[in-house]
Amino acid sequence: MKASLRWIKEFVDLPTNDAEVVAGVLSDLGIEVEGIERREASFSGVVVARVLAIKPHPAADKVRIATLDDGGEPIDVVCGAWNFGEGATVAYARVGAVLPGGITIGKKPVRGVMSPGMICSEIEMDLGEEKGGILVLPDGYAAPGTDFAGTLPYPDAIFDLSITPNRPDAMSIHGLARELGAFYELPVRIPTAVFSEEGATAARVIIEEPERCTRFTAREVRGVQVGPSPLWMRLRLRDAGVRPISNVVDVTNYVMLELGQPLHAFDLDRITDETIVVRLARAGEPLTTLDGVARSLSAEDLVIAGVDEPLGLAGIMGGGDSEVSAATTRVLIEVAHFEPTRVLLSGKRHGLRTEAVSRFERGVDPELPPAASARAASLMVEVAGGGVVGGFVDAHPRPHQSVEIALPVSEAGRLLGADIAGAEQAGYLRRLGFAVEGGNPLQVVVPSFRPDVTRPADLIEEIARLHGYDNFPSRLVSGQGGGLGPLQNMLRMARMAMVGAGFFEILSFDFIAARSLEGLRLAPDDPRSRPIRLRNPLNEEQEFLRTTLLPGLLDGLRRNVQRNRPDVALFEVGSVFLRGEGVLPEQPRHLAFAATGARRGRSGGDYEAGDAAGVAEVLLTALGHQATIVQAAVPGLHPGRAAFLEVDGRRIGSVGEIDPLVAAAWDLENRVVVGEFDLASLEAPAPAPFIMPSAYPPVVFDLAFDLAEEVAAAALLATVGAAAGPFLESLAIFDVFRGEPLGPGRKSVAVRLAFRAPDRTMVDGELGPIRRAISSRVTDDLGGRLRGG
Amino acid sequence: MIPREDLRAHASAILYRIGAAATVAEVDRLQDEALGESSPITAARRSLREATPDQKRALGAIVNEVTTTLADALAARRSVLAEEERIVRLAAERVDMTLPGYRPERGAAHLVMQVWDEIVDIFTGIGYTVAAGPEVETAYYNFDALNTPATHPARLESDTLYVDYGDDPEGVLLRTQTSPVQARWMESHQPPVHIIVPGRVYRRDAVDATHTPVFHQMEALAVGEDITFADLRGTLAYFMDQFFGKHTRQRFLPNFFPFTEPSAEMHVSCHRCDGSGCRTCGNRGWIELLGCGVVDPNVLEAAGYDAGRVSGWAFGVGIDRLAMIRHDIPELRFFFDADLRVLEQFR
Ligand SMILES: [Zn+2]
Repeated sequence: MKASLRWIKEFVDLPTNDAEVVAGVLSDLGIEVEGIERREASFSGVVVARVLAIKPHPAADKVRIATLDDGGEPIDVVCGAWNFGEGATVAYARVGAVLPGGITIGKKPVRGVMSPGMICSEIEMDLGEEKGGILVLPDGYAAPGTDFAGTLPYPDAIFDLSITPNRPDAMSIHGLARELGAFYELPVRIPTAVFSEEGATAARVIIEEPERCTRFTAREVRGVQVGPSPLWMRLRLRDAGVRPISNVVDVTNYVMLELGQPLHAFDLDRITDETIVVRLARAGEPLTTLDGVARSLSAEDLVIAGVDEPLGLAGIMGGGDSEVSAATTRVLIEVAHFEPTRVLLSGKRHGLRTEAVSRFERGVDPELPPAASARAASLMVEVAGGGVVGGFVDAHPRPHQSVEIALPVSEAGRLLGADIAGAEQAGYLRRLGFAVEGGNPLQVVVPSFRPDVTRPADLIEEIARLHGYDNFPSRLVSGQGGGLGPLQNMLRMARMAMVGAGFFEILSFDFIAARSLEGLRLAPDDPRSRPIRLRNPLNEEQEFLRTTLLPGLLDGLRRNVQRNRPDVALFEVGSVFLRGEGVLPEQPRHLAFAATGARRGRSGGDYEAGDAAGVAEVLLTALGHQATIVQAAVPGLHPGRAAFLEVDGRRIGSVGEIDPLVAAAWDLENRVVVGEFDLASLEAPAPAPFIMPSAYPPVVFDLAFDLAEEVAAAALLATVGAAAGPFLESLAIFDVFRGEPLGPGRKSVAVRLAFRAPDRTMVDGELGPIRRAISSRVTDDLGGRLRGG
Repeated sequence: MIPREDLRAHASAILYRIGAAATVAEVDRLQDEALGESSPITAARRSLREATPDQKRALGAIVNEVTTTLADALAARRSVLAEEERIVRLAAERVDMTLPGYRPERGAAHLVMQVWDEIVDIFTGIGYTVAAGPEVETAYYNFDALNTPATHPARLESDTLYVDYGDDPEGVLLRTQTSPVQARWMESHQPPVHIIVPGRVYRRDAVDATHTPVFHQMEALAVGEDITFADLRGTLAYFMDQFFGKHTRQRFLPNFFPFTEPSAEMHVSCHRCDGSGCRTCGNRGWIELLGCGVVDPNVLEAAGYDAGRVSGWAFGVGIDRLAMIRHDIPELRFFFDADLRVLEQFR
């Protein structure tokens, strides 16, 4: 909302003219000032002048010569406009005047006649858009020679305000004055409404829906002359962001801005039988609103209707048929009160967010209609002529019930943490317009313009606002102990382990496209192939919830490769969403990684299958678990370079290189290693037991086996380990080779074993049987042969 | 019997060569020559076994004398040469230490997650528990349990992403705030409550400089007897000072949120200019940072708490926004781009 400081000051004598200071006070009161716009006349050297005489131009018939009284000697000025006559009061730019855009007015000949200066139009002075000629001021506007800029309501500051949805009362100039008055402890004036009434109106109002229209007032003004509003009113409206239309319509907008009460002016001659019916629309009933849109109404819409046709959408927008036009002479001023929520819903239904809606949806003061009607009538007579007709209609089926709240004095201390005496609390509330009686509890009557205040907590906020939020004490009290839960802790350790392994953490959206899942070449019966759809996705790329983190990671690899960063290692921790049995989907938290190109650092080489397994092992070790890699065909992964990851016999994910076809779907040319794990399914590891280090030296020897290509390294280690007996201390593969003297399809795998007894130095004699046991087990179980043995 | 003169001559010849020896290996060879099995001195010592007492006395003294002389000379020369050789060897091993070092290459946690972890550490350090809940959530916990009116615009399809799951088209959604976790927590815990809830939240926003459909939020909630607005102010002051690593000032301005009353918006003095105005704060000196307030009694009652006995405060802040402000990052989209050039900046 835009609010003029000058306008506010019509109602309250602020102790300052400094807009920044006022903005600070408004902010402290909870009315956010998003900006301050300075307004000034953007011209100088223009004076008020009277047209003494008009004579034709000797050489041109499109222009005339006006003789002006500008306070000095009469001056002849050439003028091309025809919308004024002798005796008119005009704005005259003298020689030397500067108009908007920096145009300096000189003395120049117009078709042979010298013209010192010019008579100005609104557009030339940047005061409006009126194109029908020069600006004609009312008779007696100001004495000739008066500086015209000085007669304008400038300089002014226009606040751009953001009003929270709970504050309907702040949606008006008068309401803002009331807030500032409360802050400065100053009286706030009421807008004047002075008029006399004559005769009695025939207008009638029938309210069929008293729950949705609790009050409807109507007042007739007769004999108006529709035309442009006076300059001051048009400037006010323009500065508030409202387009001036005509004096009658402008008055309704002016009063709405001033008091926060939306109003509507009907052409009474276009209302059949001068009867207004407030009723529900019939489903499909047509109405063309003021914006020219032909609408089909819903049975949920409330309409202001004549005896048959709807005249307007209640509280939202009037209709074109009963619109005030240039021919209108009898006006019916409607000032009503509507139930906020239904106005909001109707407005939404029709996509209309008018000034009226933004006020009604917050809840307008139900006691305001008579005062707003009187103010409008008074202004209308002032700017459009005519007279007010007696017989003010105030249909009031549901009178407003004042809200009374009992507020224990201790509540302020209990909720705010500051001792504020009861009398002080009562003082704050009274300044804000609340009636307060009693000592403890305070008996508070809420003013009708504060529908948001219904409970003690709401009063506490009012007290806090005037006390000043920054004037409360500050205290730090610790909690009861706490910290990260086991899963949160594990996820953090997992992330740190991945960082240590050279991976960069990314965050990606939880949405995927159907195309992405297809690119992964998952099995059709894989639960990940049945993603959950969003009902209202932003676009096709974000239509489904992710069932795997891989698409986001592969997107990340691709983007980096395309940016000429071919060596990338990324990971992400996040939820995936799978169909389940409950009200909500299963939402396990996964950790996944993807890498391609060269490994970072001096170790060199490109990421390949071994990295996937290695990273998984490092990760699980960091979490206190031992990973078991089980070679397997995993859909979407390279058939010979994939494995499941098991912990304690339970599968928690898979690792490997992605299938080259999947890589191609992401435009990735190098090998891509990936892994994805459901970490949440891991049990917390048991505390590790202590093993007493032996004081005796180890015996170390190597064995090499001739094996078929298909025998997995893990199988060899398991077999050797099982046969090695209780004193095996360590076992690791240190060499693998293929070729001569081995046969085709064979490989040699060499392992180094260390043995150590806890209580003695082992002797050679003990090792022979162990060596033989290992050799025969490898032969029996794996079809291998001990080389050189 | 070897003449004594021969022994002396042998000794002085060897002594001369010891003095001229250039390497430890040469000294070792001379040792063998001088005192080894086949040296004249060893032979003389061996011949003493059959000698007469007089001969023993005369020759024995000389054998001992030349042995000691030679052994000392050998040891002295060896020590000098060994030191020289050590110096030469180490000199030859010189490495240019200014070359890039061998190091394990680390990756990096995402900046938003670093900030997330920091906030968690700040609050767990003062006794808060970290609570979490589902990202796909029911409308009940996301809206109803939090005093959000049925007509509130946040519920609109234009603002909230609804999930096609179950029969009610508006029953399941991507949570728009982490507040539902508070509602769930209060359902299953009695006061006092001190929790923080960091998490992913979602809005139906297209990507632009300051909007993404996914972002990160952290909410804090304290409920108990004698918990007031003053505690909110004190806790936020502590949080801000810890987070920005310096003393900051806060301003609290009245505002409106459905789940707090009174409600406030907190502004913090700009950490870059300390209030004098700069690009980060748009020359205001203050940064509008978060919404907070005293927990609305309706929210407490919905959780089954006695709002007349217990009270509380809550605040919510964008984790991404905190990261953007502290590191002067102009656009939110950088956080979701997986761009190594950005990721590498925050190790
Ligand atoms: Zn700054």
